[in-house]
Amino acid sequence: MSFRIPIGPYHPALEEPYKLELICEGETVRDAVMNVGFNFRGIEYLAERRNYLQGITLVERVCGICSNVHSLSFCQAVEQLNGAAPPERALYIRVILAELERLHSHFLWSGIAAKLIGFKTIFMACFTLREKIMDALSAISGNRVNYGMNRIGGVNRDIADPASVLVILDEMEREITRTIIPIFLEDKTVASRCKGVGFLTREQAQAMGAVGPLARASGIGQDMRVAAPYAAYDRFRFEVPVQSEGDVRARLVVHAIEMIESCKIVRQAVSTLPSGPIHTPIPAGRIKVPAGTAISRVEAPRGEVLYQITSNGTDIPERVRVRTPTFMNMATVRFTVIGEELADSPLIQASCDPCYSCTDR
Amino acid sequence: MTTENSKDSAWLEQVGLGQQWEWKNGSWWSTPADFDLRANTEKMLALGARFVAITAMETGTSPIRLDYQWDLRGQLLSFIMLPESRVAATIADLTPAADWAERETHEYFAVEFTGRRHTRPLMTRAGDAVGIHLRQEAAQ
Repeated sequence: MSFRIPIGPYHPALEEPYKLELICEGETVRDAVMNVGFNFRGIEYLAERRNYLQGITLVERVCGICSNVHSLSFCQAVEQLNGAAPPERALYIRVILAELERLHSHFLWSGIAAKLIGFKTIFMACFTLREKIMDALSAISGNRVNYGMNRIGGVNRDIADPASVLVILDEMEREITRTIIPIFLEDKTVASRCKGVGFLTREQAQAMGAVGPLARASGIGQDMRVAAPYAAYDRFRFEVPVQSEGDVRARLVVHAIEMIESCKIVRQAVSTLPSGPIHTPIPAGRIKVPAGTAISRVEAPRGEVLYQITSNGTDIPERVRVRTPTFMNMATVRFTVIGEELADSPLIQASCDPCYSCTDR
Repeated sequence: MTTENSKDSAWLEQVGLGQQWEWKNGSWWSTPADFDLRANTEKMLALGARFVAITAMETGTSPIRLDYQWDLRGQLLSFIMLPESRVAATIADLTPAADWAERETHEYFAVEFTGRRHTRPLMTRAGDAVGIHLRQEAAQ
């Protein structure tokens, strides 16, 4: 006999507000139905009724974790339309911000995963390290979450003390290498909770259009920073980790290695930061953008973000399309929980790194 | 030799996607005449492309514009479809990645996707009006 367990939209076992109905036989999950939209704010609609400068501020509020990638994608799309190519130093600063944001997002994910695994020491370690990254972001931008760094044609602030970022990177790399990676890869408790649990096959990931670390943990190696480089990513050497197992442990491994790679990218960018202006001069007042449609894709911490902006030649966009990574990834949860123990479902869901602020927009 | 990394569309012709491609503002664009959406979807899947998004918009000259976006070898391909009414065939049975995109497009722009068994609300709740993203003057 099967029974249906409704979980959410607000429940202690969920890290984000969505509703999952699990159809179970005994303790085994046989099917799942996902319901989203509990944070729907109509941001695309709102962005089409505000000017471009207001739009930057608005889209940065799409997400409370990866806020920077949204304003970055928005500005990149507008820059393609109005030709306001950012100067080299601004491109490097954009990379530094994006990678610091990836680091704090991955630390957040790792901490939540550790908590759900039942390893609260690592939860505390991850959140301690995350605080240091957020302190660095605050020192650069003046803000911990919504940085307000991107503008059309560059960035708003310079990095006053690049050397201080390197000091934080030293500590990050040391702690990730000494603490996070060994525990995620070798600890028996972690392995018993994560290995062979929550499978997403390569075929399933491909069929569902999965992106980011979730897809890379299922053998799909795409990363927008390499596949379609933007900002200054084509100047730096880094690896894109790919695992073929497709289970929760593979997602842990991908996230952990990506943190190391992000440190490498930031170190290169800070060490080779070119001198010069941080934005192109743009006339004061409202920005009118030539008519046309442009697309920008950015590799957010959770995967590919797409912004499509259509201008009608005025200072207000005709259409702003926002497609976030969790929008593609979350439908895969159905595949990852089927056949699994009910008690494992919170960890499995969290391992997809959901962000419902992004999904619902 | 042309590759997918150049801005020469020859590689798209080589993989069987025709000649009418234009590189503009960050991606490849095509507005094929007599566009067969489902046949195109099958072709893209056979090529190993990844479904990315459906972007709907009001144009003022046609009832709706639907951009079907795919990633092929890291390049973004946008197929522009201009249907005579706000109706299009579903592709969610061919690629389940399009399921949420169709549901969202339905509730934002009141586009009906024929062939779906049901179109459950995604961002809105059961019983809510569809077409919530349509500009007010058009919705009236």
